[in-house]
Amino acid sequence: MSTEPALMTLTEVARAIAMKQVSSHEVTRALLHRIAQWQPHLNAFMSIESEAALKAAEAADAELAKGEVRGPLHGVPLAHKDMYYDAGKVSTCGSLIRRDFVATTTSTALQRLKDAGQIRLGTLHLAEFAYGPTGHNAHYGPVRNPWNVAHITGGSSSGSGSAVAARLTYAALGSDTGGSIRMPAHFCGATGLKTTWSRVSRAGAMPLSQSLDTVGPLARTAEDCALLLALMAGPDPEDSTASHEPLSDYVAATKGSLKGLKIGVPASFYVDDLDGEVARVLDETIAVLKREGADIVKVELPDQRQLQAASQLVLAAEAAAFHKRWMIERPQDYGPQVLMRLQNGLAVPAITYLEAMRWRGPALAAHNAATAGVDAVIAPASPVPAPTIEESDVGGGPNAPALLQRLTLFTRPVNFLGLPSLTVPSGFTKSGLPVGMQLIGRSFDEATLLTIGAAFQRVTDYHDRLPKLPS
Amino acid sequence: MAQIAGVAVDDEIATRISNSIGPAFEGFAAIAGTLPFDLEPSSYVLAQNQKVSK
Repeated sequence: MSTEPALMTLTEVARAIAMKQVSSHEVTRALLHRIAQWQPHLNAFMSIESEAALKAAEAADAELAKGEVRGPLHGVPLAHKDMYYDAGKVSTCGSLIRRDFVATTTSTALQRLKDAGQIRLGTLHLAEFAYGPTGHNAHYGPVRNPWNVAHITGGSSSGSGSAVAARLTYAALGSDTGGSIRMPAHFCGATGLKTTWSRVSRAGAMPLSQSLDTVGPLARTAEDCALLLALMAGPDPEDSTASHEPLSDYVAATKGSLKGLKIGVPASFYVDDLDGEVARVLDETIAVLKREGADIVKVELPDQRQLQAASQLVLAAEAAAFHKRWMIERPQDYGPQVLMRLQNGLAVPAITYLEAMRWRGPALAAHNAATAGVDAVIAPASPVPAPTIEESDVGGGPNAPALLQRLTLFTRPVNFLGLPSLTVPSGFTKSGLPVGMQLIGRSFDEATLLTIGAAFQRVTDYHDRLPKLPS
Repeated sequence: MAQIAGVAVDDEIATRISNSIGPAFEGFAAIAGTLPFDLEPSSYVLAQNQKVSK
């Protein structure tokens, strides 16, 4: 465990504050110091609220001195993707259109973290309206990867991935509609949990695609993700789609062993046409899991390209429906990439959209049948490590469109099925870029993924490695 | 399609949309038109809540 407050994990710092080994004020000051150093290089924050954060930290310390504890996150400073509404605060959603939008409600997920005692550090950058896989943003500039600032962070939770990896926040909410938590986790070297669709309330979170949107955390460790999931998950009167399925003890799950668990390795698709270094990391990860007691078996999954196609159709249609009014009234206020993606939805007939939605049940049932013998499936989060910001820009040459398609190849099918998936830092390329593997679970079985992720992190140090401040 | 939706797009944009979303239609073609009559979108939630044992 690090004694430097900013370098602690969320679990460690929450415990240290509760035990008065470090004050909330000290911790907040330490993070603000790092943010001041890193922000000019990364552009990870949309807003930094130094004075308010220090004031809130002092108040948290005063409460603690009186024996008043709000919850497991008492006095822990956090920043989240700037699409979680916080009543009375601006939530830009990474857009020009909502640059001055002041939320009138607070998102349920955020409120539950506030109730647990977190304090607000500021807000984190994202792709415009969370609709982009790279971290580019036409209005506010790209977010940069702390391991190499010429490379992308992945999106749309670009600021969340970058800030967590650079230790500028202990954890951050992201959202995942087509890979927006798992890709930044993979590209930046963070641990990211895409939750089962409907596990965490989406009330007060900016919508992109109601059938695919999920709320989840990015953090240093699986244990930290478990802590946050335990605080956020469960039914919500403000979101009728939030599931009543029973919750697990997610934190306890992180203490479990791999012995007796079966992990499936797909026979195709997720292992085809991989970048050589991603393939190497996949093999190394499987070897570690096997050494720690997991039973590794091959699984034949249904056609993932059909799932990917259906996911794209649903996302395009639902996103265009949310944005139609602004597409008519304010098309000039969108960035060109995002407007292009939104316009794609205009070409999806209602019948095709509904067919895709009707197919979701049988598609999930077929997946469940194919994976009935395993506890989780392992796959790369993306076939490639982080490309450069330049080469993945839409104007970045003739290969850019194909590259963008490739980035999300392994994440979209999981969104269509609504399955949980935990991305864990699993290795590095020779040039020093992180590579993450995703563990895809059964619906509502985040606990098993957290068991596997935490067991892997107990015997590896990829999640502990620290990027160096650019000179 | 875009005109029906009430959003103006020119020919160039229409071509670009076609190139961009076209592959998704191709990928979904094997499913389109094959689903049984009684299948409703709500079957997804049933599949999601189905207890899957090893």
